[in-house]
Amino acid sequence: MEKILPKQEWSVALRINHWVMATSIFILIATGLYIARPFTVAHGETVNKFFMGNVRFVHLLFGVILMFIFIQRVYLAFFSRFHADWKDFFAWTKLGNFWKQIKFYTLISKEPPAHTHLYGPLQSLAYAGLLFMLFLMVVTGLILTGAGYHGGLLRFVYSILRPVETLLGGLVMVRYFHHVLMWCFILFIVVHVYMAFWYDIILKEGTISSMVSGRVFRRSH
Amino acid sequence: MGIINDDGYRKVIDRQYREMLAQCKTHMDEVERTLPEPIEDFQLLLKERGVSRRNFIKWTAVMTGALMLPPMFRPMVARAAENFSRLPVVWLHFAECTGCSESLLRTSYPNIDSILLDTISLEYHETLMAAAGDQAEQNLEKALHDFPGKFICVIEGALPTGLDGKYLTLGPKGKTGLELAKEVTSKAAAVVCIGSCSAFGNVQAARPNPTDAKSISEALNIKTVNIAGCPPNPINFVGTVLHYLMFGALPALDNLGRPVWAYGKRIHDYCERRPHYDAGEYVEEWGDEGAKKGWCLYKMGCKGPYTYANCGRIRFNDAISWPIMGGHGCMGCTESGFWDTMAPLEKPVSQAGIGVVGGEHTIDKIGIALTGLTVAGIAAHAGLSAFRHGKCDKGE
Ligand code: HEM
Ligand code: SF4
Repeated sequence: MEKILPKQEWSVALRINHWVMATSIFILIATGLYIARPFTVAHGETVNKFFMGNVRFVHLLFGVILMFIFIQRVYLAFFSRFHADWKDFFAWTKLGNFWKQIKFYTLISKEPPAHTHLYGPLQSLAYAGLLFMLFLMVVTGLILTGAGYHGGLLRFVYSILRPVETLLGGLVMVRYFHHVLMWCFILFIVVHVYMAFWYDIILKEGTISSMVSGRVFRRSH
Repeated sequence: MGIINDDGYRKVIDRQYREMLAQCKTHMDEVERTLPEPIEDFQLLLKERGVSRRNFIKWTAVMTGALMLPPMFRPMVARAAENFSRLPVVWLHFAECTGCSESLLRTSYPNIDSILLDTISLEYHETLMAAAGDQAEQNLEKALHDFPGKFICVIEGALPTGLDGKYLTLGPKGKTGLELAKEVTSKAAAVVCIGSCSAFGNVQAARPNPTDAKSISEALNIKTVNIAGCPPNPINFVGTVLHYLMFGALPALDNLGRPVWAYGKRIHDYCERRPHYDAGEYVEEWGDEGAKKGWCLYKMGCKGPYTYANCGRIRFNDAISWPIMGGHGCMGCTESGFWDTMAPLEKPVSQAGIGVVGGEHTIDKIGIALTGLTVAGIAAHAGLSAFRHGKCDKGE
């Protein structure tokens, strides 16, 4: 007979990390869009307005939060007491599974490949890419932040990152790159959310709720 | 710990400045001993041009502050100004428009910077020297012979390196710019690049760069001091030379070779329209209500947030105005490769066209299109999935 057993998949730290990251990214996209294409706040006297100032404050605040969240995520990948998942980011190296997964996604086959890792082969690639994108976003963001400060820690970080700025072709290119990366994040989010729902519906393992409760439900025969 | 105790901290700083001042004095003594007498007496010259002693003192205060030195250096700045014309200078022109020379030399009335530049001991300057042809060439050779390792080489203009540099030949012997630059800079005490052409290549090096023009430091593989700008502010040049006279060393430079005292902060950090930026008040089109009220020019393509320069602090044309005060955004001329990276000049950088020059597609349009395509793809996939996996459920 078929049994459905709950399986602990995500640790508390990882779930918190996921949702803080998601919230931060949403706020960063919203505030970032305003910074890129601001509208004029027409009413009131200049002295009483600080709209862009506040938006920038929120952006920088969540930018720095995202930086710590990124660091925590990398830390968990290597040193989590529950399950250090750095090896799972290489699930795509199993090329047989990779092929099967593509067939499953393109609906050619109805059977998913076997669970060898925490992530599927394509999923592992996407998440490794996400971590890389986060890294680039944090680095470019820190450069943009540091340029506006002339003392303190952020300036110190900036003085270290300045060669990167020169390499990319100046602050303006850093800013442009930051903007392009925002679109990469938007595309990631669209696909990521769809895939989560799709898995939830197709495999009926409780993918969506697993990021809240930590458990998926696996069938065993 | 000196840093924590305010008094102790001040003492440390004070001691450091006193040491610097002593060094500066010894160096000025040496300059006065070893370099030739000034041709004209500077104080006399100031009197002739109608600049009072009081104005001169005021100028030293401004210059000392601009160089980020404490007031105790004011007498040294005055002394360096008096000895300004001792320093032999060779001024070379390559691929450029001579606009930098123009900007340095033309002022509505003689202010102290321009008088200093008038007295500068130009051993060779292609635009200004009276000599021509072979005679000019002899002047240059004489300067290299008389002051080896002592003169400052100022360069205006980029170096075309294509065709072995033959895009630019000059002088009676038809030397290429590359040859001349190599010859002169190898004997110079320091190379000061004036203007963004010599500093970064500027418009000559902008895409598609048909003559393969390069900055001096890139073409010759040497270190240069870059007084960036198109044109740069005379004060940034004068200050750098004064610093060299005072300390015998070049001022601290940033990652692009620009003196930190002049290029250490962004236009955006000093801009008088910055409160409007923070408030969220932007000029939306030329001549609108916001433009009349002096609002921020960010949406009209101001590149102040990406540009390191002190224009807003010292301004141009006898400190009368500067571009953003005049109502147009900054175009980022002190940054490397700005024609390519800062385009379009009157739109925010995120609205830059992609692809062929003047391309219609911006990153936002591409992003929206890709997101739309993805969503459409997802919808199709969802439909197909319902069909394929849904049927399977019935079968079970
Ligand atoms: C998913 C993450 C992020 C997104 C989607 C995002 C998005 C954006 C966007 C769209 C802009 C405007 C760019 C333009 O003008 O074209 C921007 C600017 C900026 N971002 Fe981010 N950003 C993110 C993360 C970060 C991080 C981690 C930091 C810093 C630690 C940061 C700091 C900045 C700064 C300083 C600016 C420039 C603000 C200014 O100069 O006024 N961002 N961001
Ligand atoms: S006008 Fe330009 S430099 Fe000035 S605040 Fe606006 S964006 Fe910044």
